[in-house]
Amino acid sequence: MIAARPTSALPCSASRPISAGMEMRSFSDRPPAPRVIGAVNWRGLWTLYLKEVRRFLNVYTQTLLAPIVTTLLFLAIFTLALGRSVQTAGGVGYAEFLAPGLIMMAIMQNAFANTSSSLVIAKVQGNIVDMLMPPLSASELALAHAAGGVTRGVLVGVAVGLAMWAFVPIGLHSPWLILYFAINASLMLALLGMIGGIWAEKFDHIAAVTNFVITPLSFLSGTFYSIERLPDGWEAIAHFNPFFYLIDGFRYGFIGHADGLPGIGAAVVLAVNLLLWILAYRMIATGYRLKA
Amino acid sequence: MPPPATLTPPRRYGRVNWLGLWSHYRRGIRRFLDFAWESLGGPCVFTLMFLAVFVVAFGAEREVAAGVTYTGFIAPGLVMFSLCYTAFECAGFSVLDDKQNRTVEDLLAAPLTPLEVMAGYLLSAMACAAMSGTLVGLVVALFVGLPLQAPLTILGFALLGSLLFALLGALVGLWADKWEHYSFADSFLVLPLGLLSGTFFPIASLPALGQTLIAFNPVFYVIDGFRGAFIGYAETTAWQGLLLVGLLNLLLAALVWRLFARGYKIKA
Repeated sequence: MIAARPTSALPCSASRPISAGMEMRSFSDRPPAPRVIGAVNWRGLWTLYLKEVRRFLNVYTQTLLAPIVTTLLFLAIFTLALGRSVQTAGGVGYAEFLAPGLIMMAIMQNAFANTSSSLVIAKVQGNIVDMLMPPLSASELALAHAAGGVTRGVLVGVAVGLAMWAFVPIGLHSPWLILYFAINASLMLALLGMIGGIWAEKFDHIAAVTNFVITPLSFLSGTFYSIERLPDGWEAIAHFNPFFYLIDGFRYGFIGHADGLPGIGAAVVLAVNLLLWILAYRMIATGYRLKA
Repeated sequence: MPPPATLTPPRRYGRVNWLGLWSHYRRGIRRFLDFAWESLGGPCVFTLMFLAVFVVAFGAEREVAAGVTYTGFIAPGLVMFSLCYTAFECAGFSVLDDKQNRTVEDLLAAPLTPLEVMAGYLLSAMACAAMSGTLVGLVVALFVGLPLQAPLTILGFALLGSLLFALLGALVGLWADKWEHYSFADSFLVLPLGLLSGTFFPIASLPALGQTLIAFNPVFYVIDGFRGAFIGYAETTAWQGLLLVGLLNLLLAALVWRLFARGYKIKA
């Protein structure tokens, strides 16, 4: 057994034709030239993106099926508890009003969870160096993570939407607006998740951000009610909440009625995303809480 | 040569290894408090969000039954839900975490009987549930009146409800081989049982089939009895609930005890 070891250590030695040995010798004489990377390290970007996507697809019961169940439960609770007593502004039934908001909530929570958990786990386990060492620039790191979060957000949105469609009649007023707001919502929350993940030093920190920032903002942004129902002061405050524009615009894409103006909402979310991108990029570029 | 005089004799203990049980119990509490933002903050925010959505947006004055406002109706249910869910999370997380980190071997090697191992997990989960329930109750009481009509019944339901969910948690923790299994049981069993239990709506608002089905959900009796003890309005009688959940707890406890004794998925 021991004698056999040196040959079997070469993976293809047994099946390789003799002439291949020549190649191997010249191969070992001159090491291969380093890979030339252009302006963008496409292969590295793609690899990191795939890692981000596989990370959540591996645990699809947690990341795709669980949001479906939770969202359907919320739908059941709210329609059972409030269905008959609620008048919505758009003249649609309450379930129809609620469904787009719930889909949006699932999109937001999952996009946030993807980037934040990825970074916190990498930092806590210490394998963040595997991301910082390779030839990936700060914008490539940010882009790969953000794209992973957007992928999860949109996939969850589609899955939850299809599941809801079985129970609630969902109209499609303008599919392009739906897509626009779904992607922008995923991007916004993926960027927030990145910022939170970089800031957090342990799991409990990111749980605090989820509990005290993300959950309240997504609950109180008009998912469950038309903000016209709020007292005057609160209605004005709701307009400073970027999540409100996400949910309102997304819902407009389905039912054709919005509390605000979808055009303004589209501009606001784009501007917020741009600012968040710059912040996330600066955090990675300066190595804030990433590099010792 | 005489043996060295400093050698301490082995510790003797009676039928119950109190010191071991206490250490095991304290470990569960510390693990919970290490994640306080998540374990205590989470239920508080969850409860406040639901209260805000229901109260601010839908009018607090709507009546469920004569003299019972909707807010008064859901407030005790939310407290009970936090209590139960914390018990589940705490027990399930502890058992599975110990399995994953192989620290369960330290418990098995320690002079603790299977009953003591189980009791440590359950009691710490129930204590954590009590902390979370009390905190959520205090937070709720800031916004909604929580009359305490029958404190002893409240205590009884709190104990039985948290024990039920701690047992479920231990069962799930033992059964699960990885975190994905745990979250599967969480989303597909515990959350539906907990949320579709009449916390948020009176059963009269359900269709006929729903009313029949909810009678098979033990959590319904826990929530209803707990709420009844607060506001004096219940859809079942307290004794019915206490008896039913008590019996169910006995059955589950026997099962979990046997599983610990057999070393189900914890001994090779």
